[in-house]
Amino acid sequence: MDHLVFEVGLAIALIAAAGLISSKLRFSVIPFYILIGMAVGPHAMELWHFDFRFIESAPFIDFMGRIGVLFLLFYLGLEFSVGRLIKSGRSIAVGGTIYIGINFTLGLALGFLSGFPVAETLVIAGITTISSSAIAAKVLVDLKRTANAETEMILGIIMFEDVFLAVYISILSGLVLSDSSSLGGVLLSALIALGFMLAVIIIGRKAVPLLNRILRIRSNEVFGLVVFGSLFLVAGFSETIHVAEAIGALLVGLVLAETEHAKRIEHLIVPFRDFFGALFFFSFGLSIDPLSLGGNAIWLALAAVVLTLFGNIWAGMLAGRTASLSPKASANIGLTIVARGEFSIIMANLGKEGGLLDIVQPFAAIYVLILAILGPLLTKQSKPIFNMLNKIFKFKDPRLRKEESNSA
Amino acid sequence: MDIRESILPGIGIKYRIDAESGDRIVIIIHDDGRRELYHFDYEDLEQSISMTTLNDQEARLVASIIGGMTYKPKQLESVEMTFDDFIIEWYRVESHYASVGKSIGELDVRQNSGATVIAIVEKKGMKYVNPGPEVIINDYATVVVVGERDQQKRFKQILMNGSG
Repeated sequence: MDHLVFEVGLAIALIAAAGLISSKLRFSVIPFYILIGMAVGPHAMELWHFDFRFIESAPFIDFMGRIGVLFLLFYLGLEFSVGRLIKSGRSIAVGGTIYIGINFTLGLALGFLSGFPVAETLVIAGITTISSSAIAAKVLVDLKRTANAETEMILGIIMFEDVFLAVYISILSGLVLSDSSSLGGVLLSALIALGFMLAVIIIGRKAVPLLNRILRIRSNEVFGLVVFGSLFLVAGFSETIHVAEAIGALLVGLVLAETEHAKRIEHLIVPFRDFFGALFFFSFGLSIDPLSLGGNAIWLALAAVVLTLFGNIWAGMLAGRTASLSPKASANIGLTIVARGEFSIIMANLGKEGGLLDIVQPFAAIYVLILAILGPLLTKQSKPIFNMLNKIFKFKDPRLRKEESNSA
Repeated sequence: MDIRESILPGIGIKYRIDAESGDRIVIIIHDDGRRELYHFDYEDLEQSISMTTLNDQEARLVASIIGGMTYKPKQLESVEMTFDDFIIEWYRVESHYASVGKSIGELDVRQNSGATVIAIVEKKGMKYVNPGPEVIINDYATVVVVGERDQQKRFKQILMNGSG
């Protein structure tokens, strides 16, 4: 283990280089982190002192990636609030349901038609359903689209997806991670997972005044240790009862979000989330041998990309119509949230932990790579794309129609 | 006027303002303190035609200008800009003021009030920046004065009564 620090340093330098390149090209960083991971790894060469195979450090990098997932989900829980979801209104619940309904159904269809077993199909549907909040929100801000009429709907759907993700991971982790193969055993472990979640949330709610008092710590150092301690303890404990550790992290986030220290925790956690998150994408890339990408995984991923594009535009148009947005704004909805990223990979990792078919990992990698790059481009070009679609479909503006009938 | 507030989770707060003039303005307050102002096309209310980005401090300044807190163009009397204790005020000289026709030196502004006249703009458009003691205060001129609050008070007395 002589060169551990050196190897990790090499890994971080590579990730940093990928990040620099992506910001020069003004692209989302996620695909670059994965690509650089795929470029090196066990199949790569060893040059003098530079061991690009990361053999000594592989378990260590892997572990840091796991921590990255914990922070990603912890932050998600911290940001999420039920009050916010309720406030954002009925149209968003309708829009979110439409979006998830369409994309999830398409994902299931893809899995079954390709002849996958149930567990694999469910993981694939999860991968194709949940879009990347990080990419979508960033694109909105970067392209100065926050003032547009459809922005509330877009962010609402993203939030809705986060809820879906939480519930879905908990069910799926019961299903995939449990050792039992009988239906009863699977149901039992899914029930345990749900029960555990409910218990943490209910106890957490009751404990808010207590937590407020405990967390009133002046020293930043001790404050950080307490937060990290509870995060890792709960996440680790979840693992022992076959609930994905990511869910444990999410729950800690949800509970701490209710305390008066939520903002301080957020500040504390963001740098860790970014650092370990980058390592997570890198380690995911490491686990994929680019030479193994040929064949089925590519075709499956391409089919999934086509289905996702179709499902997104369709769902966006429908969701926009329910909120009486113009066709142009509605097209923006679907095109903005087409990017897939962190959550799809978390789903794929869940599949790996559960020992599912090997194809799931490379499939997720190609799928995410394509959509993480394509998503922001489609958002940027939404106007010409809409004009093109409009020539074919001749969308009617619900508002204009009303005016026409008024004037007639 | 119609104002709508909505929360943009992970980004900030959005205000959509439809003004009587037909203008649609959208203001985004980002969680990091940045403000973005968007102005939309009259014909197509979905197309933003211009936008401005301000940081937190700039936004506060602009807000106070729009709110008339720093500058009241019509009354020209209680215009204030503060630098700690220092205030810049604009005084409009009414024709019945006792100081009309007297020079700054005659009124002995600095001695009597402690405030300093930094500019005079006359009705006819003559402008004096940093006027000397010989400059005469005419009616309907605007006098710009810098000084602390009580110095300003004393200056106004001099302006109205001709002496401290």
